[in-house]
Amino acid sequence: MRPTPIESNPGRSQNTGQNTGESSAMNLTREQLLDAYRKMRMIRAFEEKLGELVAAGKMGGFMHLYAGEEAVAVGVCAQLGQRDTVASTHRGHGHCIAKGVDVGAMMAELFGRASGTCKGKGGSMHIADVEKGMLGANGIVGAGIPLTTGAALTAKLKRSGGVAVAFFGDGATNQGAFHESLNMAANWKLPALYVVENNGFGEFTPTEFVVPVKDIAVRAGSYAMESAIADGMDFFDVYEKAGEALEHCRSGHGPVLLECKTYRFAGHFVGDPLVYRSKEEAEDWIQNRDPLDRFESHCVEAQLVDADDLRQIDHAVQEELEAAVEAAEAAPFPDLSEITTDVYYTPPGEGGAR
Amino acid sequence: MSATAIAMPRLGMTMEEGTIVEWPVPVGGPVEKGQIVLVIETEKAESEIEAVVGGFFRHAFVEPGETVPCGALLGAITDEADEAFDAEGFAASYVPPEGSVTESDEAAESVATPGPAAETPAAVQGGRRPVAPAARALARKLGVDLDRVDGSGPGGRVTKQDVEAFASARERLFQVEDGVGLEVLREGEGDPVVLLPGFGTDVSSFAFQSAALVDGYELVGVNPRGVAGSDAPDLERYEVARAAADVASVLAEAPPAHVVGASLGAAVALELALEHPDRVRSLVLVTPFVEASPRLLAFADAWVRLAAEAKPETLSAFLAPWLFGEDLLSDPARRERTLRGLAQAVRRIPAATLERSAAGLEQWSGSRTDALGRLRVPTLVLAAGEDLLTPGAEALAASIEGARVETLEGAGHALAIDAADDVTRLIRAHLAAS
Amino acid sequence: MSRKLNLGMAVNEAIHIAMETDPDVILMGEDVAGGGDREGDGIDEMGGVLGTTKGLVKSFPDRVLDTPISEMGIVGTAVGAAATGMRPVVELMFVDFLGTCLDPLLNQAAKLRYMFGGKARIPLTVRTVSGAGMQAAAQHSQSLYWMTAGIPGLKTVIPSNPADAKGLLLASIRDDNPVIFCEAKLVLGATGEVPEGDYEVPIGKASLVREGGDVSLIGFGGTVAVCQRAAKKLAAEGIEADVLDLRSLQPLDEEAILTTLAKTGRVVVVDESTPRSSVASDVAALCVDQGFDSLETPVKRVTAPHSPVPFSRPLEQAYLPSPERVIEAVRSQG
Repeated sequence: MRPTPIESNPGRSQNTGQNTGESSAMNLTREQLLDAYRKMRMIRAFEEKLGELVAAGKMGGFMHLYAGEEAVAVGVCAQLGQRDTVASTHRGHGHCIAKGVDVGAMMAELFGRASGTCKGKGGSMHIADVEKGMLGANGIVGAGIPLTTGAALTAKLKRSGGVAVAFFGDGATNQGAFHESLNMAANWKLPALYVVENNGFGEFTPTEFVVPVKDIAVRAGSYAMESAIADGMDFFDVYEKAGEALEHCRSGHGPVLLECKTYRFAGHFVGDPLVYRSKEEAEDWIQNRDPLDRFESHCVEAQLVDADDLRQIDHAVQEELEAAVEAAEAAPFPDLSEITTDVYYTPPGEGGAR
Repeated sequence: MSATAIAMPRLGMTMEEGTIVEWPVPVGGPVEKGQIVLVIETEKAESEIEAVVGGFFRHAFVEPGETVPCGALLGAITDEADEAFDAEGFAASYVPPEGSVTESDEAAESVATPGPAAETPAAVQGGRRPVAPAARALARKLGVDLDRVDGSGPGGRVTKQDVEAFASARERLFQVEDGVGLEVLREGEGDPVVLLPGFGTDVSSFAFQSAALVDGYELVGVNPRGVAGSDAPDLERYEVARAAADVASVLAEAPPAHVVGASLGAAVALELALEHPDRVRSLVLVTPFVEASPRLLAFADAWVRLAAEAKPETLSAFLAPWLFGEDLLSDPARRERTLRGLAQAVRRIPAATLERSAAGLEQWSGSRTDALGRLRVPTLVLAAGEDLLTPGAEALAASIEGARVETLEGAGHALAIDAADDVTRLIRAHLAAS
Repeated sequence: MSRKLNLGMAVNEAIHIAMETDPDVILMGEDVAGGGDREGDGIDEMGGVLGTTKGLVKSFPDRVLDTPISEMGIVGTAVGAAATGMRPVVELMFVDFLGTCLDPLLNQAAKLRYMFGGKARIPLTVRTVSGAGMQAAAQHSQSLYWMTAGIPGLKTVIPSNPADAKGLLLASIRDDNPVIFCEAKLVLGATGEVPEGDYEVPIGKASLVREGGDVSLIGFGGTVAVCQRAAKKLAAEGIEADVLDLRSLQPLDEEAILTTLAKTGRVVVVDESTPRSSVASDVAALCVDQGFDSLETPVKRVTAPHSPVPFSRPLEQAYLPSPERVIEAVRSQG
């Protein structure tokens, strides 16, 4: 495969803007809107529940919560199908739920149960469901980016029409894996959508302390690659920009870097003392820009859905979650023999590899 | 025109190797048959070796100071002084005499006639003996007590072959009552002469005598229970009566034998003569006792204790003043050689055996004082002029009807070594007369 | 039918067969095409720095991918492609460059299947040139198979001859696990009979390449020839050696190792890498752990010293295990 000569393309950055109301998002059906809300609510409730469970000592491991960033995962994943893949990060529960991974299995996984998504062997940072195109949360910052480049290479070589999506934080864009991947993907015009969730902090360090550019999207310019910036707290804006980007990818024009400006409501991990950011800043984001509040007020004002419908969803989500916790807690742990299974793939009929 | 080999001779049943002391004839010099052509040193003594043919001493393959196994090629004598002689070719075509200890069959031989253990590095002294895991596993499987297997590997490591050889040697042991196997060393042809070693030694203590007596007699060396290659049953004591019964079993098929016993071996010989008179043709009792002196008991106790803790070399140095006369002790070279030989011998007797033998000795002591008068067998008693341990040997001889006593002045308790030549001579005369 | 090929030719042939028989097989790496799909323009291709993959791009123009010099990107992308249905063969020019692409192997390829509870397969092969012998010095001469062999989830193989190389590479490419395929520099120049056609050498099976009952010489990759030469010299002294070619370092053919140990009771392992945490140490440990009761002598390891690979020719030669050092090790066992 040889690269197609690349026309001059300095990259295209778009300013963040409020939804104009004249976008593809406006064509969403009521069912689609309710489903998007249900997913965002589920992510929020799921993460809040985890916070409780960890605080109560019922759940172990490192836990990074996605609350506050729901619009990004759902805004992108609402437009993905079976043929599309997603690679995620250590803050990956939201992407899993948005991509349709079963919440009960996820909860069981986080409890380390045999019925978990990964038989209890992955945990929070490694939830995956390859059958759902979910290539996994990833404990290594930036590692999902080359995986996505590879998935996009598969899509291109197999002409599947699929797009490979990578979600990653602003911190990951300082890794070599990010730059090497973008270079290769742009060079090969791969159908890859790189979604950077710029929540303003790389772990505990403000992004501007370690990144010299204001908008990460401009980094696409080095690779003659399309880019866009979305308000990551606005489902509709993310939906619209992601939709355009996905269309670009699907039509064979190569990869896109989509920067979503967002904010994590909780800290870097559960137990983060949050000393590095001001209460006022956090309060401002949480009170005034909560993506669920904004989704609701937009939809209710535009009379797209009733507030009652949303309250019903809230209730149903909560019930589903309680049931998931109950079932997970009651489920058996994996057999100790599972320690050494799944290390290697062994064709049926052959003994286990050592 | 031909060449004749000079090989390391085998002087006695237990000799494994010898050291070249001197080549008295210069290379190229004439040699007459019967002339001393070589001086060697063994565990026991220095020996002069006579040329078996006359001719010219053409080549020395081994230099003085070197130690080689019995049978090894040492030198060559040719008929003529100037005949062609290819030393390399001669060595290559040299076939060692049968029964010699050459390197190729060293492992097997070293067990059939337990030889000196390979030198143990100082670092291992007092620690665990090096044993190859494979040897350990095989020993476990065959029920071999590794403490009794000499190691032929580097640093004295016991190898699998050592265990195999030990086990196969054990198969050749003479089985006496209760499944105990005894190491019985036979050599020579003629009337049987039984050799019974004293406390803490094996038949190698008769090395000098056996080297001479093998000419004309069938020597039957019996290593008692727990000694050298013989089995060591876990008993409270090795009783003298039991030892005599063991010897009687060994002699069951043979005509009545001349029985030579030293010290505790003499006690066994006496017991044998009393309980199994039909087996005994004559007795030679070397430094015997019938009632152990307090000193003998204390000495045995000291030996037992020291053997459990000290290196063989230390033990042997301790034993020397008790066992040998001042003549020997005052000759540094002889003393040194004797100590080395003794160290090799005591190595083959584990401390447990000493303890059991000492208990047997103490039990037997005094039990046969009144029985000696019953003996009706030609008896020679050899007493030592400087015997610290069994000073009553002459008195004992007086209690046996017809017994002859010879006292060797200047010699100690270990008479067979200390006054080897005299002992040999007197035994030979006694055997001839009986 | 067979012909004499060198290792590179055997590797090339294996890749050709793999690509011919499976449309999902792709070849990626630096210079693997090397400008070589410009048919008719008079420009030839490189086919990699050693020319191993030369000609493949002509047969498979869409599946032989020249990459930028981005080892992390190359291997990471290959892992992603493998997880989603391709069967990539990656050329990592020298195994020393593992330092620039360790994460995709260590934390992705090796772990995904496990972390996902068995719901992923990573049919990835990383071909890489390994070891000393070309005066390439410290950053292009290391033997790092001990690192990959020690990572659960990866397999590591290292052929000692062209015929095994072809069969092992075909087996590696068709294995649904990530396999690190090491091409030892010491073997690159060697030629040997290579069967024609499609065949596989099973991963995880050692090969007894010489039989003798006195001592077991265990080698792999470049040290198999060292063992063979030592065995010949020992035979002249009456010591007959088994020579076992491990071929696969993970999975390790423990049974074959213990079998030859049980036969001879003494083992010398010859490993081109540095000694600490090495395959040699691992094999020695296995012998002691599982084969203890067979041991007649200490297990000896003949390895490189614990130092980087020197440049100077005499130093590099002395650095490598030699037949003389193997014989010395056998002698020291007593």
